[in-house]
Amino acid sequence: MPANKPAQWDYEADVVVMGTGGAALVSAILAHDQGAKVIVLEKTHQIGGTTAFSGGVPWIPMNRYMKEAGIEDSRDKALTYIKRLTNGKEPNPELIEVYVDNGHKMIDYLHENTPLRFSIPKSYPEYYGYFPGTSKDGGRSLDPRPFDMNQIGEWGNLVRQNPTFPPLTLEEGGAIGAIDFTVIAERMENNIVTMGRSLVASLMKAILDRGIEVVVETAGKELVLNDAGDVIGLIAEKADGAKVSYGARKGVIIASGGFEWNKELIKTFLKGEITHPLTPFGNEGDGLIMAMEAGAALGNMSEAWWYPAMQDPTFEYEDRVMNQLGGGGRTGPNSIVVNKHGKRFVHEGTTYNDMPKAFYEYDPVNVEFPNEPPVWMIFDQQLKDKTMIITMMPGEDTPEWVNQANSIRELAEQIGVDPDGLEDQVSRWNEGAAKGVDPDFGRATTFFENLTGGGGSATANIGPINTAPFYALPIFFGSLGTSGGPKIDENGQVISLRGKAINGLYAAGNAAMGIMGQTYASAGGTLGPAMTFGYLAGIAAGKAESKDI
Amino acid sequence: MPNGSHTIELPVSIENIWSFVSDMDKWAPLVPGYIEHQILSERQSTWSFKGDLGFMKKTVKLQIDIKEWIEPTKVTFDLKGLSDNFVGNGYFEAEAIDDSNTKMTGYLDITAKGAMGPMINTILKNFVPQTAKELSEAIANKIVEINKA
Repeated sequence: MPANKPAQWDYEADVVVMGTGGAALVSAILAHDQGAKVIVLEKTHQIGGTTAFSGGVPWIPMNRYMKEAGIEDSRDKALTYIKRLTNGKEPNPELIEVYVDNGHKMIDYLHENTPLRFSIPKSYPEYYGYFPGTSKDGGRSLDPRPFDMNQIGEWGNLVRQNPTFPPLTLEEGGAIGAIDFTVIAERMENNIVTMGRSLVASLMKAILDRGIEVVVETAGKELVLNDAGDVIGLIAEKADGAKVSYGARKGVIIASGGFEWNKELIKTFLKGEITHPLTPFGNEGDGLIMAMEAGAALGNMSEAWWYPAMQDPTFEYEDRVMNQLGGGGRTGPNSIVVNKHGKRFVHEGTTYNDMPKAFYEYDPVNVEFPNEPPVWMIFDQQLKDKTMIITMMPGEDTPEWVNQANSIRELAEQIGVDPDGLEDQVSRWNEGAAKGVDPDFGRATTFFENLTGGGGSATANIGPINTAPFYALPIFFGSLGTSGGPKIDENGQVISLRGKAINGLYAAGNAAMGIMGQTYASAGGTLGPAMTFGYLAGIAAGKAESKDI
Repeated sequence: MPNGSHTIELPVSIENIWSFVSDMDKWAPLVPGYIEHQILSERQSTWSFKGDLGFMKKTVKLQIDIKEWIEPTKVTFDLKGLSDNFVGNGYFEAEAIDDSNTKMTGYLDITAKGAMGPMINTILKNFVPQTAKELSEAIANKIVEINKA
């Protein structure tokens, strides 16, 4: 149940924002710029949330940088592309249009009113480059420009480190290989940040310039409602367990991330059980629980931004083995992914959001989930010699955490996979590879598997696994965040179970219903909608009528 | 070439310091992030420890080869990564100030190699001096504690 109104608020503001990721900071800036007094609460001891962990790339059709670069785009084209991907499964088609119509306005606003600047990453096209409505020349995915963290002084030390991406831009290879480690070293020396940290630090500069108060180690836990059911504040919990009340005359914006670190919520809502999130540990669904208590309707609850996570077990982040992206090996030519039976079960080169959807397939004949992770990436020396895999560099010694053997059978026995199954599978793969085809799953036919090389091809994506030693690495059920939450309207305002907007309650980002359904449009498919609805929620909350609290 | 040294004066004789430092088993658990070590011979040992790089921790295995035992004043050694691509060296030096006071210095130098070397060395620039300081201080405190008892 929501909390009772305290006799006296510890703190009062017009708008209280939960979270410090992209959606949260944009909403705080916009609410402030409507004239509202804003307080931002961050649960953890670091700011930036999931955004700081990420590439920091928003996917925004028709944005100003495309116009500057002479890249044509249109509302119809963008909607054609999105609707081809959503297959009509989006929770509310109108919100897709709201997103397309307002995303570029959000980018314009931030360009004109904050230090946040983007570039269009060259040679980084859209993930579904063969589909109608795609932007052939890219441009919808925006790459944050490097930002000098010294501009935000001590707050720079609080911006969450990004253990996933090095301080390179997307174009420089931060997410796609070809990394220049000397540039990384220079950036680290000079406190120059890129990707998610650049986005957060740039927005944080705007927050500080406006004098918006940001309070860390303060987690929103319970909403406070008045007799009419309007949200008028929240009760937060400090790191030491102390309760603090925040009155909010105009509204509360929940932008505190998803629930991928809450095992109970995962089990309750998701199709597949995420075991290895690639996000900060604070994402435990606090905002979701608060919204449910306030009577919010929920949407898109069974979805997440899936990811086939991998691990170099020698790296730990906040005292847990760090979940990592894994590098480009999965789509490489001399590599396949198999289940416990030693069988392939998916086109390995599909996008990181699509490929794990095969993890939760059910076999009704054998009454099992055959692809439940860990599944195994099987590859040979040829791939190891030319591709960075997790942290393993080409040409360097094989670390002891990598399973290796001189025969496929021995490798299968080592990792507990059916040896006959794996031997048969590798033979079949190699037969196809000799002809440059994959008759089972169509490798070399999708665009994403050779994204920066013009789309899949036999040369880039099909090759035999026949050169010992052979290697195996586990792939786990990972996620870049969940994408279900309270239903929202075109203003980011939360809808009640009775279908009415809840006065004073807004949600954005992974804390809200994902408007795209199961679709991840391209790089920035998470942050684009998140920042856009943060922008809309900030405007709406900032302009809302003040309530007597 | 990330490196660091740390010097401490102790109210302990050089012989007592040598007696402690020359027995690896006595001070091994004082290594920051220590997990385990194995003495292979009088001059060779392998070590596992978890290095705190600030925003993440990294478990590393390395081999130490003693180059010189100069009783009671100096031990020099080389090190190389077994789990990762790095090399280095270091020494421990004791200098008697008088019969019951000694100046003790620990020095460590580690350089990451390979393609990732430039990036890792940037992290090691802070990590190595900090480790040299923490280890020297931990050893000094233990020696003082033992010699008080």
